[in-house]
Amino acid sequence: MFNKVLIANRGEIAVRIIRACRELGMRTVAVYSEADRQGLHVRYADEAYLLGPAPSRESYLRSDKIIEIARKCGAKAIHPGYGFLAERADFAQDCLDVGLAFIGPKPSSIAAMGDKAVARATVAKAGVAVVPGTEGEGALGDEELLSVAPEIGFPLLIKATAGGGGKGMRVVHHLEEMHSLLHSARREAEASFGDGNVYLEKLVEGARHIEFQILADTHGNVIHLGERECSLQRRHQKLLEESPSPFISDDDEMRQRMGNVAVRAAQAVGYVNAGTIEFLVDKDKNFYFLEMNTRLQVEHPVTEMVTGVDIVKEQIRIARGRQMRYSQENINLNGWAIECRINAEDAYNNFLPSTGQISHSLLPTGPGVRVDTGVYPGFEISPYYDSLISKLIVWGETRAEAILRMRRALEEYKIVGVRTNIPFHQNLMDSHRFMGGQFDTRFVEERFSMEAAEEGKSPRPEIAAIIATLVAHEQTQRAAHIIQRNERDTSNWKWISRWERMQR
Amino acid sequence: MKYVTTIREREYIIEIVDERHIILDGTPFEVDFNSVSGQPVYSLLLDGQSYESFVYSSEDRWEVLLHGTLYPASVEDEREKRLRAAAGGNIAEAGEFYLRAPMPGLVISILVDEGQSVEKGDVLVILESMKMQNELKSPRPGTIARMRVKAGDSVEQKQTLLSVV
Repeated sequence: MFNKVLIANRGEIAVRIIRACRELGMRTVAVYSEADRQGLHVRYADEAYLLGPAPSRESYLRSDKIIEIARKCGAKAIHPGYGFLAERADFAQDCLDVGLAFIGPKPSSIAAMGDKAVARATVAKAGVAVVPGTEGEGALGDEELLSVAPEIGFPLLIKATAGGGGKGMRVVHHLEEMHSLLHSARREAEASFGDGNVYLEKLVEGARHIEFQILADTHGNVIHLGERECSLQRRHQKLLEESPSPFISDDDEMRQRMGNVAVRAAQAVGYVNAGTIEFLVDKDKNFYFLEMNTRLQVEHPVTEMVTGVDIVKEQIRIARGRQMRYSQENINLNGWAIECRINAEDAYNNFLPSTGQISHSLLPTGPGVRVDTGVYPGFEISPYYDSLISKLIVWGETRAEAILRMRRALEEYKIVGVRTNIPFHQNLMDSHRFMGGQFDTRFVEERFSMEAAEEGKSPRPEIAAIIATLVAHEQTQRAAHIIQRNERDTSNWKWISRWERMQR
Repeated sequence: MKYVTTIREREYIIEIVDERHIILDGTPFEVDFNSVSGQPVYSLLLDGQSYESFVYSSEDRWEVLLHGTLYPASVEDEREKRLRAAAGGNIAEAGEFYLRAPMPGLVISILVDEGQSVEKGDVLVILESMKMQNELKSPRPGTIARMRVKAGDSVEQKQTLLSVV
């Protein structure tokens, strides 16, 4: 059994895992790139070792170096977090080969679920409905994909076989545009995952993206921790997640039905540890298996908030070969949790990534608020990694309370140095469709705009005018003062000498 | 000092009487205005009402982020405003446009050649940053001049990539 864990990741998730290890009394080992020397995970871990230059390929994707470091420092387990090496079956296998525990599923499960085409074939065999597409057909060439596309029907999606997070993904509306979109999808997939293979999938319109958290131990127990609503996305990147889903809400029968299917999908690949089954749900509550993420998810905290289960601790417990502390009967969803992903993206400039040094940061606190982050004032947001700065999570007794609390927390949150998408989330919280739970996966891109969202609000342009004027005025005054500095210095000294005389 | 501040085409006449008093469109207010620990976050007490906002300066204007709404504001003192009026207002949109990298990143591809004519909104360059591919578009019609980078180059923020004349 291991007592020292190497965390093969960076940013907020590395910090999250270190926290769980600490609470369990385990020693932690961080790895970092040259760009991350100042990272919070480096500071929080008991030990930290340099991997290499900033680009991921030369640092966080260097599985050989990571395993080498683990062996040298005596770590007996590796937690991969999400992204980077988390869903690489070869990496998991390499760990096992040298006697390291991999805190995640078996390499065979990662392989089965990681090639999404194989994944769909596997769960379909277990009687789970899947979305029409080039399932289980392996790596097809452009010609084959173009010829099979009309059978699936338009609009359809091109998705990266090795992918996730929206990378290498394209929506195709007509056959004519498909050739160039295939090309750009492959190029992006190649750049992101080192694998340019793609597959096609029918685009279910008006669909919701709802996923189930799974936990499975080595003793054959598999449970689900309820659902997460992840429909609010932009360019297939999730922006906000909540649990429960307002679409399922108090329909416990549907929740159990979907949960059982999720458990069955996990069992189909002999799954162990934490994983997530993603479903597409249409407006008539038909649901289709989309994919399984064989790792910890970015949005796991919302499930933790409503179930009270510490998923990372449970992952470690499972990797140590112990039984889970929970059975299905213990799992109840209590209240409502919402997570906003705070990204270094300019909400007013087409969500363009923003880089720079965080010069000031004031975190929201108070009842029911949790912030998972890896940055602090002085930290540099570099262009090498994703733009996630932090995750702001709130809990409320009801969805309404959670929304009001999130509004309050977003207003408190101040990050200076980079532009963020906090204003986007603030406008979303005020949106009637969001409040009413009336949204699908296309909502953010097609029905939501910052301008429209701001129109309905009670604007205070006169206050903004006063503030802008005072700042401009202050700047002019300061410029004038610099010219007269000698004068001021003299008077300051005079003032001090007077003060000193007074004290005698 | 008297200022004319414009937000969304509405002008506000703001007179700064002294550190504690301003007059907004003829109405006097008591103010207490502070930057929060030297940051571009400002706290304003206006007749006891408390407001907090971000203020960003961009090239020729200010941007005030207040309660999740961004207000672009231009602030001119009376003299500047008169000067501008005398100059006849709008400056012609002539001259060369320089496309600069909005953030550091890697040039994935350049979709135009030197001498090629482009329309407003045409994609000129694909720049990868933070694992996202970003399309940089032409803000106006013109002809591509001066190509300063090629695909595969790493570029710094604000580095000139090409120009449109």
